[in-house]
Amino acid sequence: MGAVKGCDLPETLLYSIDNNVWVRREADGNVTLGMTAYACALAGPVESYTPKKAGKEVKKGRSCATLESGKWVGPAKTPISGEVVAVNEAVSASPGLINQDPYGQGWLVKIKPADWDADAVDLKTGADALTAFQAKMDADGFNGCA
Amino acid sequence: MGVEVMWEKTHLRVLDTGLRRAAENIALNRTLLECHQAGDSPHTLRFLRFTPCALVGFHQNVEQALRVDHCRAEGIHIQRRITGGGAIYFDPGQIGWELYVDRRFLGTAHMGEIARRICEAAADGIRRLGVDARYRPRNDIEVDGRKISGTGGAFDGNAIMYQGTLLIDFDVERMLRVLRIPAEKCSDKAIASARERVTNLRALLGEPPPLARVQSALAGAFAEAFQVELVPVDDLNPREQPHFAQALAEIDREDWVYQRHRPAGGMPLLEAVHRCPGGLMRAGVMLDEARDIIRQVWITGDFFVNPRRMLVDLEASLKETPVAELEANIHRFFDAYRVEMLMLSREDFLQVLRKALDSRDPASTRAQTHAAG
Repeated sequence: MGAVKGCDLPETLLYSIDNNVWVRREADGNVTLGMTAYACALAGPVESYTPKKAGKEVKKGRSCATLESGKWVGPAKTPISGEVVAVNEAVSASPGLINQDPYGQGWLVKIKPADWDADAVDLKTGADALTAFQAKMDADGFNGCA
Repeated sequence: MGVEVMWEKTHLRVLDTGLRRAAENIALNRTLLECHQAGDSPHTLRFLRFTPCALVGFHQNVEQALRVDHCRAEGIHIQRRITGGGAIYFDPGQIGWELYVDRRFLGTAHMGEIARRICEAAADGIRRLGVDARYRPRNDIEVDGRKISGTGGAFDGNAIMYQGTLLIDFDVERMLRVLRIPAEKCSDKAIASARERVTNLRALLGEPPPLARVQSALAGAFAEAFQVELVPVDDLNPREQPHFAQALAEIDREDWVYQRHRPAGGMPLLEAVHRCPGGLMRAGVMLDEARDIIRQVWITGDFFVNPRRMLVDLEASLKETPVAELEANIHRFFDAYRVEMLMLSREDFLQVLRKALDSRDPASTRAQTHAAG
């Protein structure tokens, strides 16, 4: 598994570096989206999760879920436009799953992409993603995942 | 964007939006945060005041957090913040301060670290008024163990807003009549307990300092901490004005205020009493049942610890603790804290909190009530 400064960043996933999220295209064409381990380290333990409702349209660069950690509230932004087709009930009941398993049980939403090919152009994967996260962490003054 | 001198990291616009209704103040939060993210607002320090209102945190449900009937009868406006945390009562006796900057402005993207840096600067500002204010992790500023400023934040991409209250004059009983906890369970105890935990500038200084002095102390401390020049202005800029009108139309509505984020499930206040060789200990635990997270604890009783403020520090460190991590968090706290206790151990604190949590089970409720009686 790939990692930068102690933060796991699986090289098989696609990443939006700006939004600090990962996405994975599933066999049915839908996209699963979640926070990176790096985003989790910056946020600290997530205490509340409010996703956009299933059926709702989301636009690239806009919020797909609102999260709260340590009295901070903010959006997780999707790099993919489309329709929310599923939200994570397990995370609703236990938002700490996001920190415990960001690439597995802690996913945020599943989206049916409006134009996958167009939006996927801006995503990075493999060694490119690791290099881009290294630069982002340096610019952010980040010391590393615990 | 980027054409005006105030966009530079070396300047901080200072905006005083005066005394306003809660809906306007929250709409201004959204306006300034979103405009900053869009490049339409410079780095900004805003001062604000509220007509009487009760504000719930972004993820709270109004009915769970507030006594709605009392608020309506008293003409206390109810609003929802865009920041996290719990419900608060606000009236013209407090002043709000807010910073709109970005992660790079503060030299870190770590949210806890951003909160610490801003709170330490705010505490320095409050000290300039003649009281010994200190940052208390994670989000409070206190004087001798008593909270004088609570804080919280919101972000949008790289733009961040961090806001705090500063209690200039404050009526604890009025606050407790507005908030749903803990007063309804044990009102005399709750008032005494809240008085031990909260203070204000008038109580500490004998009289409330003038608002202008408070603002200049805080602004001076922020300018020094972040090495920026202050640029006072009178009003929103032309890009912000229409954004504010739109945000107010969306926020000054019941469907914004009364939206429900938390899943069904209660937020009971569980109580317990623990007798031990060191004395009698009482605890209250506010439990988010749906998520099994301890939102807050209160510990009082007749026993000896020195310093006495250890109790409020312990309470602060146990905020938002998953039940499964309670024991580990208590050990982490006592491993790092120097305290003198008489015939008392950390196990006693763990026991009284466990006992309160166990009272969830209906079978043990009777026993707990009996013990408390």
